[in-house]
Parts: sequence; structure tokens; C-alpha cells
Amino acid sequence: MTIVGRGGSAPGPQVTETERDPDDWVRALSLEGPEHDIALRRLHALLVRAARHQVWRMRPMLPGAGPEQIEELADQAADEAMVALLGKLSTFQGRSRFTTWAYKFAILQAATEVRSQAWRSRQVVLDDSHVTVDLGPSVEEYAEAADLARAATCAIEQALTPHQRRIMLALLVDDVPIDVLAERLGTNRNALYKTLHDARVRVRAHLAASGHLQPVRRVGEI
Amino acid sequence: MSDRGRTVTREVLHSLTLNTEPWLSCDDCFELMDGYVERKLADPGYVDPVMATHLDACSACAEEAESLYALVSAGSRGI
Repeated sequence: MTIVGRGGSAPGPQVTETERDPDDWVRALSLEGPEHDIALRRLHALLVRAARHQVWRMRPMLPGAGPEQIEELADQAADEAMVALLGKLSTFQGRSRFTTWAYKFAILQAATEVRSQAWRSRQVVLDDSHVTVDLGPSVEEYAEAADLARAATCAIEQALTPHQRRIMLALLVDDVPIDVLAERLGTNRNALYKTLHDARVRVRAHLAASGHLQPVRRVGEI
Repeated sequence: MSDRGRTVTREVLHSLTLNTEPWLSCDDCFELMDGYVERKLADPGYVDPVMATHLDACSACAEEAESLYALVSAGSRGI
């Protein structure tokens, strides 16, 4: 697989040894002047660190990529995370340290970039074709497992809308990453997770109605 | 629609039938993730049932939360 840089991503500003993190990140990043510039450099360095951490964690997804391409991907993710974070700076409420809050932007961006790269040349086929449930039972479990397999097949085929079935099968059977599927469908992770959640509720309800799953009790029910 | 069949294994069936109540969106998970990770670091026994349910059910959010935990943990140990 070839990693193709998008270009236009300038290297981040250099952090000098004498600079230190601001005591009040939000204030420093909101002001104009030298303190602001230092804060921006320190923030960018934090984001590069987190993005590199994430890309190297997911390195096995990019078998053809060399160290230079990995670093380029991380730097690109850090740049994009910086834009996202600064756009949300006013929402930081101090429920965690600022650095932890900042890291998550770079981790999200880097993970999304890696999944996107890993699936760049792979086709995502959305279909709701017939599903076979094979639970691979031992001999003793055979009858019970075969019954559950039939019930599960029935639930998937009858309880779900075609859209729910396609999304559920793509995410859970074909293992398409949720943000890759969102990108291909022009939607977002939230919307797909909601579809998956609703599909799970329907499958569970169908299996509960046929006696294959314990119904979920709501809080306060005995 | 195609004629491509798929086989659902026991492991996948478990995932298909996960109970994902109480509901939490991926965006809300992201909002809460930093605070959740710091609490888990301060108290490994800390449990947030809503976050735990979402992280069990969403592999992308789970990967990012585990990664954040590892990164902050390494920082607090001076790695």
C-alpha cells in the first residue's frame, strides 16, 4: 500500500528548550503576542506527540508504510487536530488537565487518518444479502447452537430494515471501521453508531421474543 | 443486493446482540473521554457504566480511549 501525502502541510513551529507550558493554556492561546506564540508551539508539540503515539499503535494496519510516511501521517494529523482543538478552545471546562484534553484531539484525528489510509484501496461493499450463522458448536451443544443460529439468522433478516442490516453487517461482520464507512457514505460516526444501536435493540428484542435471549429489565423493574 | 453470503460466528453474534443501553453517542463519548481516563488513572476501580457500555460496543472509541489512557499513563510515569 502506498501512503500518499496530501501536501500543503507545513512542518510545525519549533519548540525551544527554554520555553515552558503555560499555566493557563486557554488564556495563553486566547491572547495575542509572544505568550500566544509560545503556547501555540507548545500545543503543537503536544499534538505531534499524541498523533505519533496513535499512528505507531496502529502501525500494523499500514504494512507498506515506512517510518518516514508514518511520521508524515502523524504530523498531518497533528496539524488537523490543532485546527479542531482551537475551534473548540472555548468549550474546555477544566474537567481534566488541558494536556489530556488536547491529546484526545490528536488521537482521534490520527486514528481516523490511519483507518482511512488502511482502507484507501479497499472496496466497501454494502449489501444485505443472506447471512449464515455458524456458531461452531461442540457435539453436545449442537442442537442448542443450531437453534440459536436459526433464530439469529431470522432476527437479522426479519427484524432489521435493509439499511440497518447493511450497516450492521458492514461494521460487525465485514469489520469496516466506522469512520471509513461514514466517509464513504457521506455521514458521520455518530449517525452510524445510532443505526447500529437501533439494529442491536431490534435483534435483541426479536431474540427475546423467541425465547433465545433474556429480555432487558429496565431500572426499577424486578 | 448481491449474492455474497456472510457467515456470522459466535463472537460476531455476541457483538450483534450487545446491550448498548444506556445510550451514549460517539460525540458524547469523545467529550467525556479525557475526564474518564483521568479518573480511571486515579482509581483503577472507577466504573462509569455509560462510558463502559459505549466502549464495549464501539471499537473505534475504545481504541482511542485505550490509547489516551496509555499516553497519559506513560506521561505520569515520566516515560
